[in-house]
Amino acid sequence: MNAQRFLALIVAIIISVPLLFPGGHNIGLVNAILIWSIFAIGFDLVFGIAGMLSFGHAAFFGVGAYTLSLLTMRMGWDFLPALGAAGVIGGALALVFSYFAIRVSGLFFALLTLALSQLIYIMAGTKLRMLTGGVDGIAGVPRPDLFGIDFYDDGNYYFFLLALFVLALLISGLIRISPLGQALKAIKSNEVRAEQIGFNVQRLQRSVFTISGIYAGVSGGLLASLIFYVGPQMLHWSTSGDVVIMVLLGGMGSLFGPILGVAIFEIMREWLSMQTSHWYGILGLVFIICTIGMPKGIAGLIIQLWDRIMPGGKS
Amino acid sequence: MNAIAEKNSILRCEDIEVSYGAFKAVSNVSYDFKPGLLYGLIGPNGAGKTTLMNALSGRAKLSKGRVFLNDQEITGKSPHARTWAGLGRSFQITQIFAEMTVFENLRLAAQAHRFRLQPFWRPVGKFKEIANDAERVLSEIGLEGFGHVNAGSLSHGDQRALEIGLALLSEPKVLLLDEPLAGVGHDVVETAVELIRKVSQGRTVLLIEHNMDVVMEISDEIIVMLAGEVLASGEAETIKRDPRVRTAYLGEEE
Repeated sequence: MNAQRFLALIVAIIISVPLLFPGGHNIGLVNAILIWSIFAIGFDLVFGIAGMLSFGHAAFFGVGAYTLSLLTMRMGWDFLPALGAAGVIGGALALVFSYFAIRVSGLFFALLTLALSQLIYIMAGTKLRMLTGGVDGIAGVPRPDLFGIDFYDDGNYYFFLLALFVLALLISGLIRISPLGQALKAIKSNEVRAEQIGFNVQRLQRSVFTISGIYAGVSGGLLASLIFYVGPQMLHWSTSGDVVIMVLLGGMGSLFGPILGVAIFEIMREWLSMQTSHWYGILGLVFIICTIGMPKGIAGLIIQLWDRIMPGGKS
Repeated sequence: MNAIAEKNSILRCEDIEVSYGAFKAVSNVSYDFKPGLLYGLIGPNGAGKTTLMNALSGRAKLSKGRVFLNDQEITGKSPHARTWAGLGRSFQITQIFAEMTVFENLRLAAQAHRFRLQPFWRPVGKFKEIANDAERVLSEIGLEGFGHVNAGSLSHGDQRALEIGLALLSEPKVLLLDEPLAGVGHDVVETAVELIRKVSQGRTVLLIEHNMDVVMEISDEIIVMLAGEVLASGEAETIKRDPRVRTAYLGEEE
């Protein structure tokens, strides 16, 4: 076994908790981890692979949530086509963002994506109140109605989310090792050289930003259906901040790292928020200590420890 | 426009100018580069040699003038579009993918050349043709056996060779080499010069180089720049005798 497989095993254990310990109270938490993981896996394609720090992903996440809610509740769409539409709209909005934001790089890119997503957040709470329900949001978002299975039962919904999670992970894993993924890594490594050997840097960046927007849109739609609610908070910049923290904490640029980050984040959110109302501050402190102590995140630390303990098992 | 000159040139610039505010880094430069020749571009520091190369490869914006490659106008085109059109280049400061292996570096250049749209549905390892391209160039630049080595840990000379290899994979008709010998140890200069000779077979090369012995020896034609303009051009012997060049440039060397 090498370090990557060990990471995969840890992830497999985390997401299998409801199967390993049936009847426990952890199902809601694992469902949330699965959904946020889809978001984080997609975000890491932009952040960890292509090296673009976006602070605007809340927009795609939230818009996906609103799309699914409005299409199912107001237009009478079935759940699956509405979920597909959430992905498409998330991706389309990401494409629009990318046309503005990719002109600049680094900190300016982060600030521009932040500004654009805050624009969507403010519009959802004010100008589009008729559509979005304003600050109250929309309650009663449905879950899928498939094969006669009751997905309103969290235990059943877990399997639906697990299937989508595995699909999202496989697609992301394939993109990473495909020519597209390699080209994106090249751009992150040396943009000047990447362009000079013939990569259309901006087009590649727009492509991955769009793919990542699809991931965000789908996961946003899923979260709305998990909690039966969508509100402007999902569009708020702090949601973008959360996914950045999750990916950094878990280990950017690695396939399984973001999932570990999501798990830690969600577990802390669940437990700490019960202990103290200052849980977010404590989480911030943990995050700062982690990024200083382990720049490659938890995944990086595990790989390092694994290679030290089992030098022969190096990948 | 001179029809004969057009037919005979592979790369042509017409009255190009690159300015930064009031400062003209390159001005009034018109030149016809003929197919298959090796051009040495020399001049003191700050003469505008690299800026001219940037202007040709699309990294510097022209404030005036036009550039043609194979009679197709490429003025205003992005660097990657010029690479596709057949213009490759290396950089003064080594530009490689330092944390990737030598083979991965070359494979990236191969896939950039082979695919206009980068496939995302199959692992990169399944595309045998780009691996073959990479292997071929790996031996062409004399780095056989170094494929698995991290590019960043290569010797400086080998990194310079890798840079040329990256440019070669786009199968350029015109190759711009910006000081490929800069910082290369005396013991390997000969190998590097051999590589330059080899890659110039059948293509046009524009070479910026400060090693006068090398430039004079391998260039078919020398272009001397001073203060952003072309001061003189011609064969090595003519250039060596040109009094303006001696005063402006070679004189300083002595």
